[in-house]
Amino acid sequence: MSKKPDRRLIFSVVLIFLAIPLTIAFGMSVLHDRRYYFVSVAILIYTMLPFLLSFEHRRPKAREVILICSLSAISVIGRAAFFMIPEFKPVAAIVIIAGICLGPESGFLVGALSGFVSNFFFGQGAWTPWQMFSFGIIGFLAGFLHQRGILNENRAVLCVFGGLSTFVIYGGLMNLSSALTVSPGFGQDVFWATFLAGIPFDLVHAASTVIFLLFIAKPMTERLIRIRVKYGLMEDKDSSAQ
Amino acid sequence: MTTENNGRDAFSAYHPVTLFLYFCTVLFFSMFFLHPVLLAISLASVFLYSVLLSGRKAVRFNLLWMLPVTLLIALVNPLLNHSGATILLYVNDNPITLESTVFGLLSAAAFVSVVIGFSCFNVVMTSDKLMYLFGRMIPVLSLMFSMTLRLVPRYKAQIRKISEAQKCIGCDVSQGGIFQRIRNGVHIVSILITWALENAVETADSMKARGFGLKGRTTFSIYSWKRRDKTLLAVQLALLAVVFAGMGMGAFETACFPFVRIAGLSGKSVAFFAAYALFCLLPAIVDGKEYFVWNSLKSAG
Repeated sequence: MSKKPDRRLIFSVVLIFLAIPLTIAFGMSVLHDRRYYFVSVAILIYTMLPFLLSFEHRRPKAREVILICSLSAISVIGRAAFFMIPEFKPVAAIVIIAGICLGPESGFLVGALSGFVSNFFFGQGAWTPWQMFSFGIIGFLAGFLHQRGILNENRAVLCVFGGLSTFVIYGGLMNLSSALTVSPGFGQDVFWATFLAGIPFDLVHAASTVIFLLFIAKPMTERLIRIRVKYGLMEDKDSSAQ
Repeated sequence: MTTENNGRDAFSAYHPVTLFLYFCTVLFFSMFFLHPVLLAISLASVFLYSVLLSGRKAVRFNLLWMLPVTLLIALVNPLLNHSGATILLYVNDNPITLESTVFGLLSAAAFVSVVIGFSCFNVVMTSDKLMYLFGRMIPVLSLMFSMTLRLVPRYKAQIRKISEAQKCIGCDVSQGGIFQRIRNGVHIVSILITWALENAVETADSMKARGFGLKGRTTFSIYSWKRRDKTLLAVQLALLAVVFAGMGMGAFETACFPFVRIAGLSGKSVAFFAAYALFCLLPAIVDGKEYFVWNSLKSAG
């Protein structure tokens, strides 16, 4: 038990103090106008790695694994069902519910997995790591705030959190990614332009998250908690981890 | 999944490791390097490969979608980005600079090569190849990826069943007023969720009964290392060594701001670009060779 956090810590330390500076140095010396783009994509991936690898090394139980898969599959279906309305997708709503009911780690995994798998239906691209990270971090944040007692199952609170996190985190990161594909650096004009151009899409996305949370938050949390209580999932983590 | 391999492409039958290396390299260089020669090579070869993969459909897609996007990025960038030292003209008191025009053109070319490159990636790197590549390194996450992919069509079929059953009792999304329809839709979704979660627990128990997470399990794969894969990988690595040497020596350096500075062509750098071009054209070379061999065999017989 005591070894695992150490290995994870060492891995994170290596990433933060070795891989990130090396990447920045490489970007600065070799890539001139592309350095911000390259460094930000690399840091995104480095941030996701400890999450994913610590889950991998924990040897999760079959029930945990398949529960995360089911929720991701549901959010992929939801995205496919509304594909004709741009940016109108329930992924963030389902990821937030997953984070609240199953904890921050599962929330992150559901988000990242939904982003990755849904792009097998909608096409992979340079946006995939950004989407994985944005959805993942929204789920993580929802679970984290829930554990701290800030976010509860109250529908109004959930909707405010869903709308804000979709607009600020997802919208902000995706705008950053599109700004970095077409501009050499942190030019203010370009950022404001992509941000303004993105506002309608981000608003639709935020509104869709609020709408979905309004309608499915209650039935879904009820069912997830029911299944958790019925089969004793995710509760006996400490007793079964040895 | 958007387009299908029409079976003419021989390159995609090679070992997944070599294919993955090919796409990583081409996408990496076209995403992050703005040298015009390098970009021209990447763009031409991914265009060629997309045509080899999907025929006329690719040509139509590239011209219909990629050309306007290129023009848009190339035009918008100088209008928004006013850094750069050489001012060409003024539009509403805003300077249009040579540097940002050049940067706009180059980043448009980069964007388009990445999009076309990914469209080839989507055809060639199917999910089973990715599973094979990552299944040993990260078995749990690969399993989750493959299970999620499998669950999507399964849930789709289940939703159809549920909504047909609901239709019989007048509770489908196509029945009733607008609020009734929404309520019916939510009801169908919650039925699906209950079913999916119960089903998930059952699947998990079945997995556990069959030894999920135990040591000593083997995985099945249909890919094997053949001699041609070894040859291809050796060629790829040799070419990559040359390309990375060139990168280290600054042959691909390009900076648009504050002045346009592009590493010039010399005898040495031509060799680096040639190595990169050969690497990018590997699919076309392999396909061309197959085509030639096939036709000569046909005419001989």
